[in-house]
Amino acid sequence: MFAIALSELVQLFRNRLVLVTSCVMPVVVSAFFIRQHEVFATLGSLGYVAAVVMFTIGAFGLYATTVTTLAARRQNLFLKRLRSTALGDGGILCGLLLPVTALSLVQVGVIMTVLGVVAGAPENVLLVVVAALSMVIMMLGLGLATAGLTNSPEHAQVTTLPISLGTIAVVTWVGITGTEELALPKRLLPGGAATELVLNAWNGGVPVASSLVLLAPTLGWVVVAVALAARIFRWEPRR
Amino acid sequence: MTSGTVIDVERLNVTYGDFHAVRDLSFQVRRGELYALLGTNGAGKTSTLETVEGHRPPSSGTVRVFGQSPRDRRAVRPRMGIMLQESGFSPDLTVRESVRLIGRLTRRADSVERVLGVVDLTRKSGTRVSQLSGGEKRRLDFATAVYGTPELIFLDEPTTGLDVQSRDDLWDAVDRLREDGSTIVLTTHYLEEAQQRADRVGLMHKGAFHREGTVSELTRALPAAIRFTLPDRAPALPSRATRESDGRLLVQTFNLQQDLHTLLGWAREHAVELRDLEAGPTRLDDVFRVIAKD
Repeated sequence: MFAIALSELVQLFRNRLVLVTSCVMPVVVSAFFIRQHEVFATLGSLGYVAAVVMFTIGAFGLYATTVTTLAARRQNLFLKRLRSTALGDGGILCGLLLPVTALSLVQVGVIMTVLGVVAGAPENVLLVVVAALSMVIMMLGLGLATAGLTNSPEHAQVTTLPISLGTIAVVTWVGITGTEELALPKRLLPGGAATELVLNAWNGGVPVASSLVLLAPTLGWVVVAVALAARIFRWEPRR
Repeated sequence: MTSGTVIDVERLNVTYGDFHAVRDLSFQVRRGELYALLGTNGAGKTSTLETVEGHRPPSSGTVRVFGQSPRDRRAVRPRMGIMLQESGFSPDLTVRESVRLIGRLTRRADSVERVLGVVDLTRKSGTRVSQLSGGEKRRLDFATAVYGTPELIFLDEPTTGLDVQSRDDLWDAVDRLREDGSTIVLTTHYLEEAQQRADRVGLMHKGAFHREGTVSELTRALPAAIRFTLPDRAPALPSRATRESDGRLLVQTFNLQQDLHTLLGWAREHAVELRDLEAGPTRLDDVFRVIAKD
């Protein structure tokens, strides 16, 4: 597994397009939000800025790169090659996705720290960490499911749009309007509950137990995504 | 299944929806032999091979490799090397990195430099896969299959895209692997390669074995051929001949030496020149053509 992860890391740094898409773009967008945090905080709150930055990395860094990587490795039969070895399917997927997942976690960690230093620390750091982890797991699951519908890296530019733009839209909707109205649909949408969790963690004022309940919809999306992936994920190109 | 059996396939069926790709196929591959799985296009070779390699489950029937399910990768794959029909390497990795990665994942011990030497890719070891020619990619594919000298090696169209020298080198390497005791399962469209090297051949057509046996067993059932052209007004031939579409005469015989001797004696006696004379034993190509007509 670690041999695959190492080779993926090597490829990530050799392919400038992927490097820019998965590393540079989310950081640049996040830097913009942090620089303009006062403007965005007046729209919603600092928690909203934290949530939108976290999901920008999750959607455009982690999720899109997961789909693109799996589609590319399938298209050039690298997945089949890896399945010709002694490693199991779980080990192959973990190896392929470990670098981009680690990179996203590092990005989220660094950017949240910078936001905390620049704009003010969150009320509950641990809850921010939990929210970040749940977001990462959900995006990985959705990435696996979307990869099943994606034939090529080029196709990934289209298939990733609904989830990428959709989650950012949900984050913005929940982050700006809160969940006092339409709480149930907002929490059930992908990213909605996770956004509320970040808002609670950063802004405070909500008991931890009430916030932790918000993990359920996010983990529900993980279950749905993994179940979908198990049905539609393909290891070889369609012939 | 005996201790000398490496692959044991029994009543294998592979279906895709309504399409029956492989029907009730049974065969065994013995330790140390080179078994050629040949067939017409769409005969079910790839489905059979992929099932035996463990890439897909059988729809019904059993497949055992080293006495175990080939789907049990952890148990079986360290003992087998697979050369895929098409390459499957990351274009941004170098040749050395690709061999090292796949070699490690096979859980066999070997030296990357040794394996690259076997396929004459040492001077390309630092080159990215995207910059290799088609033939070099095939050699890289072969390198990963033979890494660690596995007991069982699947070679799927191994010489497609290789020049003559590279083909000879690859077959030399296969010969050395066989000397070390490796069992080889080969599929190829170059029937002369199978004819020269296979201990046994399974000829597939429409999802089932049409014939199986040694090359001589398969070719024995068909007559050998003598082909030639006669000048105008030649006397009557000593043997029955038919005219082929290119105008040449064809004499089919189960006793090539005797009938050739008779024909040459007749030509000498009548001072007739047998132009474009060709005589040879039955080849796998001939068997193949008979099957394809069915």
